[in-house]
Amino acid sequence: MASRAETGLFDAATIADRWIAEYRAHAPSGDILAVGGQAEQAAWRAMFEELATHSGDALDHAAERAQRQADDIGTGFRIPGESEERPWPLSPIPLMLDEAGWHGIAEGIVQRAELMETVLSDLYGPARLVEQGYLPAALVTGSPYFLRPMVHIDPPGGYQVQFFAADLCRGPDGEWRVLADHMRAPVGAGYALENRIAVARALGGLQTRLNIERHAPFFAALRDGMAAVCRRADPRIALLTAGRYNPSYAEQAHLARYLGLLLVEGADLAVLDDHVYVRTIAGMKRIDALWRRLDPRLLDPLAFDSTSAIGVPGLADAMAAGNVVVSNAPGAGAIESNAFAAFLPKLALRLTGEELKLPNIATWWCGQPAECAYVRDNLDRLVIAPAFGASPLGLPGGAAMLGAALDTAQRAALLADMERRPEDYVGQEIVRLSTTPVVSGGALVPRPFMLRVFAARGADGEWVVLPGGFARISDHPDPRAAVMGEGSWSADVCIYGASAVEPVTLLPAPDDVRLRRNPGTLPSRVADNLFWLGRYLERGEALLSVIRVLLGNSIGADTGAALAAATVRRLIGLILSSGAATAPDTTRRTDLLAFARTALESETTNSVRHINAQARKIGDISRERLAADMVRLLEAPFPTKGGILDRAGTLQRRYAALAGLAGEHMARTDAWRFHDLGRRIERGMAVVQVARAFLDPQATTDDLSTLLDLADSQISYRQRYLTGMARVAVADLVVFDPGNPRSLAFQVEAIAAHLHALPVLSDDGLDEPQQAIAAELSALLKTARAVDLDLDRLNALDRHLAALSDAIAHRYFLQGAEPLRADGFTLA
Amino acid sequence: MHYAIRHVTRFDYAEPAGFARCNLRLKPIAWSGQALEDYHLSVEPGGHFVPARAPSGLANVLRLVIDQPTRTLTIESTARVTVDRPVPIPSSDDPTLADVARMALNSRDLSPAGPAAYLFPSPRIPLDPAIAQWCAQELAPDRGAPEAAIALARRIQSEFHFDPTATLVDTPPAEAFAKRGGVCQDFAQIMISGMRAAGLPAAYVSGYLRTLPPPGQERLVGADATHAWVLLWCGPDHGWIGVDPTNGIWMAGDHVVMAIGRDYADIAPIDGVMLGSGAQHMEVSVDVEPLEGAQ
Repeated sequence: MASRAETGLFDAATIADRWIAEYRAHAPSGDILAVGGQAEQAAWRAMFEELATHSGDALDHAAERAQRQADDIGTGFRIPGESEERPWPLSPIPLMLDEAGWHGIAEGIVQRAELMETVLSDLYGPARLVEQGYLPAALVTGSPYFLRPMVHIDPPGGYQVQFFAADLCRGPDGEWRVLADHMRAPVGAGYALENRIAVARALGGLQTRLNIERHAPFFAALRDGMAAVCRRADPRIALLTAGRYNPSYAEQAHLARYLGLLLVEGADLAVLDDHVYVRTIAGMKRIDALWRRLDPRLLDPLAFDSTSAIGVPGLADAMAAGNVVVSNAPGAGAIESNAFAAFLPKLALRLTGEELKLPNIATWWCGQPAECAYVRDNLDRLVIAPAFGASPLGLPGGAAMLGAALDTAQRAALLADMERRPEDYVGQEIVRLSTTPVVSGGALVPRPFMLRVFAARGADGEWVVLPGGFARISDHPDPRAAVMGEGSWSADVCIYGASAVEPVTLLPAPDDVRLRRNPGTLPSRVADNLFWLGRYLERGEALLSVIRVLLGNSIGADTGAALAAATVRRLIGLILSSGAATAPDTTRRTDLLAFARTALESETTNSVRHINAQARKIGDISRERLAADMVRLLEAPFPTKGGILDRAGTLQRRYAALAGLAGEHMARTDAWRFHDLGRRIERGMAVVQVARAFLDPQATTDDLSTLLDLADSQISYRQRYLTGMARVAVADLVVFDPGNPRSLAFQVEAIAAHLHALPVLSDDGLDEPQQAIAAELSALLKTARAVDLDLDRLNALDRHLAALSDAIAHRYFLQGAEPLRADGFTLA
Repeated sequence: MHYAIRHVTRFDYAEPAGFARCNLRLKPIAWSGQALEDYHLSVEPGGHFVPARAPSGLANVLRLVIDQPTRTLTIESTARVTVDRPVPIPSSDDPTLADVARMALNSRDLSPAGPAAYLFPSPRIPLDPAIAQWCAQELAPDRGAPEAAIALARRIQSEFHFDPTATLVDTPPAEAFAKRGGVCQDFAQIMISGMRAAGLPAAYVSGYLRTLPPPGQERLVGADATHAWVLLWCGPDHGWIGVDPTNGIWMAGDHVVMAIGRDYADIAPIDGVMLGSGAQHMEVSVDVEPLEGAQ
C-alpha cells in the first residue's frame, strides 16, 4: 500500500487523464465534470492528479483512504433509532465549483436569508403580511414550528435568523435551485468542516494548488457574530444539545469543540430571575447566548411542550426579558415548510423589489382553489408532498410521492383527502439532478447530488456564506430529486479560484487572540460523567486483574505453579462480591473457565462487558472533553480474538493505555481532576476489597503473594522486604504506605489534593463536607497501624470511601428535575 | 346564572420538592356569554407569582415560583362568574361546513382567536383515519355547521360510554375511540380530531359545568372535576359555537369557559416542573355552585 503513494507526478497525470476520459465516455448530459469548460476541466484534472499521487491507480484505495481520515477525525453520525454510531461514508472526490459560479449562489443565499428574516419578524410581530393577504394565516399556523408563545417577543440580539442553510440542486442545464430552507435546525456545517479536514489530509496539496477557499474564516465570523449580539463584552456562549441520542450529536460535539463553545444539555442550565445560568462545579455561571440545537418545541416546558424533560424551564421568559440570545429564534422554523416555498417568489418581489436570485423549485399549495385544481389535473407530472411537518392522511408515512407512481388505491385515498384537507398538500415539479463522479466498484461513476450551503451573520450582522458546503450523493443513478432521499455518500465541496494554478492564498491569521490558560467553565454534568468514566475504567481494570490471576495461575500450564485451592476460593469470593458472576459449581478447570467467562463477557450487570459498555457510553457523551485517541479506545469493539485470557489481556492493555492517555495527555484542568478522582476512589475501594478477601490471620504465603499481584505491588514489596511474605508487611504496603502508588493511602492523599484544588462554594474558610471526609480518611490512615488492621477497620475505610464519593456527587453534580404529573386532572 | 366556583388542587410529595415552576391557567378568561365578577387564587405554602411573558393560547396564565422545600402544595382557585349564554338555534341561513372550511382557510386572522390555528392536528390531537371516517358520517359538506356540530356531539354522547377507568389524561384519541369509552377529554379530542380531518376549525375548551343534583338530594360538594368540550368556528358572523359531546348538548348557561386552546397541552390548568425525586400524589376537587336567589 505504502509504495503506491509514491507514484510520480507524471504517472499521476496520466492516470488522472485516463480516469477523466473513461468517466466522460459514459457520463450523462449535464454532468458537472463533463460539461465544464477548460478552466473547470483543469481544476478537476488537478484534483484527480492529487488523488492519483496519493493513492495510485486504485480508486478503491483512495476511497478507503478518505474514509480512514474521516474515521480518524471522529466523524460519525447516528441513524435515529440506532444506538451504535456508524462511520460516515465520505467520497474521496470533492465537488469542484469555480469561484465565479459560486458567487451567484452565495448572493442568492444571502438574499434568501435576509428575506426569511424579514418575513419572520413580521409574522412574530405585526403580522401585516397575513393581514394584507400576502400569506394566508393557515399557511403559518399549519407549521408545527409556528410557536405562538414567541409572538410579540423581540428576539434578543435583534435577529430571528442567525444561521441559515439551504439545500440546492443543480439541474442538467446547470441552473441552481433551492429545494429546502433550514432555519429551525440548520445542521451540517460540522459535517462540512469534518469533510474538509479529511479531504485536505487525503488530498494533501490540492488546497494550495487550486487556491481553494478555506472554511476557517466562516466559522470565525459565525462565532464573532454570536458574540456581537450578546450584552456582555466577553460573553459565555453555549451550544445547547438534545444529547447523545440526537442524530447529529457527533456534529454538535465537534462544532462545540472547534468553536470553543460550552456544550450543554437542558439539565445543565437554570433560569433565575430571567437570567440563564449553567450549573458548574464552581456554582452558577451566567450564559449570554445559546446556539440552539434542540427541537424548539422541547426548549422550555413552561412555554412550549410541558412534557419536555430536556428543556430549560423559563428560557422563553429569559428571552422575553432580553437576557439571553437564542439562535436561531425558537420560532424560526415556521416558514421552512414546503407550502411556504410556493409564496416565496411573490414575497421576494413584494419585500425586496427583486426576483429570487436562486429560484425555488416550482411549488403549488393546494390550500388555494386554483393551485389545488392544477395539482389534481397534473398529478402524474408532479411530486405530491406534505405541505407541513405532519403526515397527512392521504400520504401515510409523510413521504413525498411521485404522482405517477401512485397505485389506484393510493391515488383514490390521496384525492379524497385532498378534497377534505387540501391545505395539507403541495404539488412540486419533478426536479432532475445533474451528476458528479463517485467511486463505486473501483471505477468512477456518475451519481446525482444535492448541496447544502450555510450562511451565518458575522460581527457586523452581515451574512457570510461558507465557501463550499456539504454535498450529498445518491447511491443510484435515478436523477429525480424526489427519489434520492438523504443520500448515501457525502463529499467535500471545493470552491477554487479563477486561475487554478495560482500558488497558495495567504489568508490573514487571527492574531488578536486573548491568551488564556484556564479553559473555562466545567458544567456539573460533564464533571459527573468524567468522574464515572474514571470509576468504571478502574472497576473494569480491577475485575480484569482478578480474572487474569484466577486463570493465569490456576489453569495456564506455562504460568507457574497452580494456586492452592484456598487461594482460588478467595479469588472466586472477590468476583462474587463484585456481582459479575454467580458461584461456580466446583473449582475444577472447566467450571472456573465458565465462571471467568461469565465475569468477563456475559451481558449481566457488573461483568467486564457491562462495565466496558458503561465507560463507552460516557466516552461518547464526553467526546468534546476527551482526546480523540481516548474516544477511539473506548469505542473499540469488545475483543473476540483468542481465549478468555487473551481477551482479558487485550482489554487490560486497552485500559492501561487509557490510563496512560489520561495521565499524560489530558490537560491538568478541573475536568481531569474529576476523572482522576473517580479513578482514585474506585482504586481505593478495590484495595479495600482485596484486603478484605486476603488479609485475615489465616492468609497463606500464596494468598499474600496473590494479593500483591492484585494490588500491583509485587515489585514494591520485594524492594522493601528481603524476607518472604509477612502479613503485616503486606498490609502496610497496600493500605498504609503513602510511598506505594497503588496503596489506599496514596489514593487518599491524591483525592485530598484534588479536593483542595477544586473550587469551593463557601467563603467561610471551613472545609466542605467532601474535604472533611477526605481529611478524616487521611487521618485514619496516618494514625492506624498495620498490625491492627482487621475486618472492622477495613469496613470502616470502605464506608468512608463510599461517603466521600456521595459527598463529591452531592456537592458538584446535578440533581434531576421532574415534570409535574397531571394524571387524572381533567375528569368529568 | 351566577356561579361560585371553587377549584382545589393538592399535591403531596414523598420527598420534599425544593423548587417548582408552574403555569396556572385557572382564572376563567373573558368570553362571550360570561363575565368574571370576582376571582381569588391562593397557594399553600406560599410561593410568588409572576405574570408569564409567553402566553400560549386563550388563557390567563400565571407563573407560580416556589423555592422553599415543601411536601405539600395546595392551589385554590375561587371565582364568581355570571353566565348568560343563549342556546344556539340552527337555521337554514347558517354557513355550511364547506363554507366554514373555506372561510377558515382564507382567514387573515393570525391571532389565537382566529380559526387558522385550529384547522390542523395539534400535539395531543393527531388526525386519525378511523376517527375521520366515523365522524364524516355527520359532516357532509353541505350541512349547516352548527347543526352538524350538535349532531356529531349527540352521536358521540349516545354511542360512547362514560368510563373514567378506560383512559388516562394522556391517552391518545385513537385509543379512546377504539374503546368507545372515556371521559370528557377523550370525547372532546375525538370530536376535534374528526372535525379537523374534515377541514374544520375546532378548538378545545377547558372549563366548568354545573352539575344538576338528582331530585330531592343535596348537591355533592367536591365531587366534580374540570370539564372539557369543543368549539367550532362558524364563520366571522357566527364566531365560535360550543358543543359538549360528553352530554350531547350545546355550550350554554351551564358551561363556564376557563381557557381555550388547540388541545389540552396548550391550556392544562396546572403544568410545570419541579425539582426533586420520589412519588407524587395529586388530588383535585371542583365545586360549581349556583348562587341562591340569582336568576
